[in-house]
Amino acid sequence: MKTTLKIQGLSKSFGKIKAVQNLNLRVMPGQVYGILGPNGSGKTTTLGMILDVVAPQSGSFSWFGGMPNIEARKKIGAILETPCFLPYLSATRNLEIVAHIKNADANRIDLVLRQVGLFDRKDDKFKTFSLGMKQRLSIAAALLANPPVLILDEPTNGLDPQGIAEVRQLIVDIANEGKTIIIASHLLDEVQKVCTHFCVLKFGVKIHEGAVSETLGEINKVELKSSDMKNLALLLEKFPGKEKIENGGNTLTMTLKDGFNAMQINEFCFNNGIVLQKLSTHTNSLEKEFLKILKDHD
Amino acid sequence: MIRALKLEWLKIKNYRVFWILISMYLLALVIIASGGGLFLAWLKSEGADFNGIDPTIVPIFDFPDIWQNITYLSSFAKIFIAFMVIISVNNDLTYNTLRQNIIDGLSKKEYLASKLMMIVSLAALSTLFVFLSGFINGMLYSHVRGMEVVFAKTQFLFAYFYEIAVYCSLAFLLSLLIKKSGFVIVALFLYTFMFEPIAVAVFENAPYFKGGVMSQIAQYFPINALNNLISVPFGRYIFREIQDYVSVKSFLISFGWLLVYILSISYILNKKDLK
Repeated sequence: MKTTLKIQGLSKSFGKIKAVQNLNLRVMPGQVYGILGPNGSGKTTTLGMILDVVAPQSGSFSWFGGMPNIEARKKIGAILETPCFLPYLSATRNLEIVAHIKNADANRIDLVLRQVGLFDRKDDKFKTFSLGMKQRLSIAAALLANPPVLILDEPTNGLDPQGIAEVRQLIVDIANEGKTIIIASHLLDEVQKVCTHFCVLKFGVKIHEGAVSETLGEINKVELKSSDMKNLALLLEKFPGKEKIENGGNTLTMTLKDGFNAMQINEFCFNNGIVLQKLSTHTNSLEKEFLKILKDHD
Repeated sequence: MIRALKLEWLKIKNYRVFWILISMYLLALVIIASGGGLFLAWLKSEGADFNGIDPTIVPIFDFPDIWQNITYLSSFAKIFIAFMVIISVNNDLTYNTLRQNIIDGLSKKEYLASKLMMIVSLAALSTLFVFLSGFINGMLYSHVRGMEVVFAKTQFLFAYFYEIAVYCSLAFLLSLLIKKSGFVIVALFLYTFMFEPIAVAVFENAPYFKGGVMSQIAQYFPINALNNLISVPFGRYIFREIQDYVSVKSFLISFGWLLVYILSISYILNKKDLK
């Protein structure tokens, strides 16, 4: 399988500020890759470099195993920061320009406008659009050439909660079509919901990289409740997968050792004569992990 | 090239400001070309005469002199065409569509080509209009006709085309350097009609500079070289000797400037980060 994107030793400074330092990344086909980082951590600069609008100081990158950049960009649907269109042209006319540059089929314009829910406004000028509509139009533009790779920079910026949910659903749908997606975001929740892999940037340095599921780990905490809390606590002390038990008054919270899960607890309790009223599992949130990662690198 | 031109066409085809500007410009060209007769009639009505000669019989529309007269006058309106170039380049910068075009897969060469093709098209359109105005007026008022005289001295039309193309390339460069379109327009206007002409006049005529190096250097100034392509034709009507051909030296100097403009533009496009 050809690597979709390979970045080697990419660096860029603006004056004294080192925006990106010696960045190495590898994105494989089919991944939904999140670039996480606080504001000003070099996310957009990195995307700008791999899209040829910011000149790298050193280092290199290659698309699709070494395809010429101009050709590669035609196969990538990308939005960088704010939506950029000519305000005096309608949605359709703006997309005609994109289709012309990408050598894409102009018949797809109506299709992508329907996909993002802008079909009814297709003949209205871009300047009359709300921020959410502008954002959706730029997603439509990115989808226009039916590209195998999408690059989205803060795709839900400025959208209302409904818009955010719609755009995230759209991203998940697109990912399910097997497309590779690279998302830059400072919203952890977003990365957790849609990404398969992610890296964390801080002051332009990559401080963490991995699969979302690995980093979040498996279920390691369960909350339990029963009518007989006293016996439940005593029983759970004997559970082989027990790491730690905290008594929260109404409920017990147990931290599990690796390799144990909620089903085994349920079975264990039932076999020992206690019926559980509540059994809920907790996954680590990426937010906690993220803060931990950032803290570790202070 | 067709691809580059089509890109520009898609951008301006539904741009009302552009079409209003270009209509006004073309109207101005027609007025400039046809207004000479009216001007002479006005002079007559005001009682002016040239050593007893009725002003209206001055043969400004005679072939082939008309080509130099009309291109000389029309070249003053070239700043309006430059405005269109400035607005078009500036839109791509302020709305970030240049960056988006590049992201979408346009090469910087293609972008340069798209703007240069627009400049060439605008220059060609202006030249066509000047040619038609000159041809129609000449056919109506010229005292001499015939293929040989009608199409003699059409070198002035080529010079006019070239002058607009070079001037618009300067406007293109300035729009990339200075990002505020209003400021570019004011700067270009002041430079074209005040700063450089005054500097040239001082260097060429002030006793302090006369005969010195500076009076020689003045002819290499970018706007002056363009203005010298087609020299003032009206001296011939008061029996002075005029330069009734396109200056090759000015052509070459302007060509040097054209190269400077285009190389600077491609340098800026290639090196500058599009933020």
